[in-house]
Amino acid sequence: MYRYDEIDREVLADRAAEFRAQCARRLAGEMTEDQFKPLRLMNGLYLQLHAYMLRIAIPYGLLSSAQLRKLADVARTYDRGYGHFTTRTNLQLHWIKLKDMPDILDELASVGLHAIQTSGNCIRNLTADPHAGATADEVDDPRIWAEVIRQWSTFHPEFSFLPRKFKMAVTAASADRAAIRVYDIGLRLHRDDEGALSFEVLVGGGLGRLPHLSPVIRDRLPVRHLLSYLQAILRVYNRHGRRDNIHKARIKILVASLGPVEFARQVEEEWSLTDKAAVDLPDTELARIRAAFAPQGFETLPAVSTPFEAAKSSSPAFARFARRNVLAHKQSGYALVNVSLKAIGETPGDCSSEQMEAIADIAELYSLDEVRVTYEQNLLLPHVKLDDVPAVHEALAAVGLATPNIALISDIIACPGLDYCALANARAIPIAQDIARRFADPAQAENIGELKIKISGCINACGHHHVGHIGILGVDKKGEEFYQLTLGGSAEDDAALGQVLGPALPADRVAPAIDHLVEVYLRERRTGERFIDTFRRAGLTAFKEAVYAQAH
Amino acid sequence: MKVLTANRLTDGEVVFWTGEAWSERFVDAGRYDNDAAAEAAEAHAKGQTTLLVDPYLIDVDEVAGGWAPVSYRERLRALGPTNKLDHGKQARGGEDIALLAHAHGAARSKGRVDLIRRK
Repeated sequence: MYRYDEIDREVLADRAAEFRAQCARRLAGEMTEDQFKPLRLMNGLYLQLHAYMLRIAIPYGLLSSAQLRKLADVARTYDRGYGHFTTRTNLQLHWIKLKDMPDILDELASVGLHAIQTSGNCIRNLTADPHAGATADEVDDPRIWAEVIRQWSTFHPEFSFLPRKFKMAVTAASADRAAIRVYDIGLRLHRDDEGALSFEVLVGGGLGRLPHLSPVIRDRLPVRHLLSYLQAILRVYNRHGRRDNIHKARIKILVASLGPVEFARQVEEEWSLTDKAAVDLPDTELARIRAAFAPQGFETLPAVSTPFEAAKSSSPAFARFARRNVLAHKQSGYALVNVSLKAIGETPGDCSSEQMEAIADIAELYSLDEVRVTYEQNLLLPHVKLDDVPAVHEALAAVGLATPNIALISDIIACPGLDYCALANARAIPIAQDIARRFADPAQAENIGELKIKISGCINACGHHHVGHIGILGVDKKGEEFYQLTLGGSAEDDAALGQVLGPALPADRVAPAIDHLVEVYLRERRTGERFIDTFRRAGLTAFKEAVYAQAH
Repeated sequence: MKVLTANRLTDGEVVFWTGEAWSERFVDAGRYDNDAAAEAAEAHAKGQTTLLVDPYLIDVDEVAGGWAPVSYRERLRALGPTNKLDHGKQARGGEDIALLAHAHGAARSKGRVDLIRRK
């Protein structure tokens, strides 16, 4: 993985020292809150309901063992011994004190971590396919390009005060595991028959109050022009994006109002005027970054592992874990091991310091020192030898991290919601806990199959509810919590926005409603159909009646 | 009735104005039945910029055994997160915490279910 060089380290040290001075001035009364707030936000520090929240960037979801250990240490020393992984693959600490922030930034900087690009109307922290470098269905390693964009976008002077925040996701695989159609810019790498790489460029996706799936504005962009083309997109947005209305300031509104064809024309025109050589990355620098992600440390192993097969035969629990959480690796004899942060009854995405340390140890021993964060609020060990999967399973189980529920009904996305967030209208976590408990039986969950439930505590949609197979949106009615259900959404290759099922439900009716929806699915499904397939074929009516009809 | 609340600058802790000082406990909060007095207290708090962030007034209502914020959001601020009952103010326990935890707000709607009549 990419290791921060002297320039990166200097940037982080300077940034931490600068914020130390800013905190001191605020505490001494030399700055008002109005003056200080944008500065603390630029360092990831939000004020939430009960305390400050620190959002730590995890660029494209990639962590080394040392970095994960440091996060565990910071959470234990300065917070309450846990952190919350988010749909943006960042880590949030919910009980931070302002007076500790300067020391925390120093601690994070010591391992190349920071909170830059986690707030403000800038280009935010990048996300990428969590299977990068490990999956056979990719044409290149998307982390290379995510790192290129990270270096280009950090503190970019022209794009630090955009009309609104700006998020990008990168994938190089045929399967979309980065939700690229709901990002401001989604990039998908392709390789042609001659071996040349190009980007498919999608612009104008996003969730929130006005959800949009992004259209393609350029089919094939030669990769060497990535940065100049991104600059052209951002220039058009910076010039014409609406600054008069915060609800209409994202690029999705500009793309929708101009239409993708006209937006693309303006970008191409801007790009044609650009001195591309001055902006695009020199080949030498690309080679330096590419080298940092070159595969290393893999052994030549047979495709079939005797210890792995034996463990599956002897232990039904391990066999289930292998079915649900273990995926094929591009390298023979290796596997990707998903670490579910959705233990039944626990808070989705939460991870204690002890668990982080255990995962760091496992990654160091068994996964070439790498951990990934997924937007579905789970972790991933990307490079585990099949021979070692039984030992990894045992080590994960010892700290409560071997729940075999990836992509099943209890693998629920939930934002922090009203339990923590100052923007939320309703809680998301207890709704997720209720549903997970109701479907705690792993055999039942596996019988139901892939079902993605996504819960947001407000319309800002951090919990991606619009693109849940079942989406749940918390709303406020006279100070009490209600929940609106949507069906049929997806953030993947079959991306779609969900349809509203009916009027909002009170909190205690949500989990029973999910039960009714699942009953309809199990009754109506045809061979091979997932919940979303049955919904798409059968339509809303049967599901609606199951939830809203009077009891007999 | 209104109560004045804010977050403390140094650590973000939720605090309530007793009439004389800032307390971490909702039960200590002074109540204003007079809008002018409440707004004067709020204006004074807005001047305490090295102590507080974002002071504001909240509505409170009488409930069995005492007083509680009307909105669920404010009851949560006075208690802590419901997914971790050992975190936040609720960890201390006591009668005042139990009262807040069992309070209900103004909304009495049970939601619009049972909408479809089966034949």
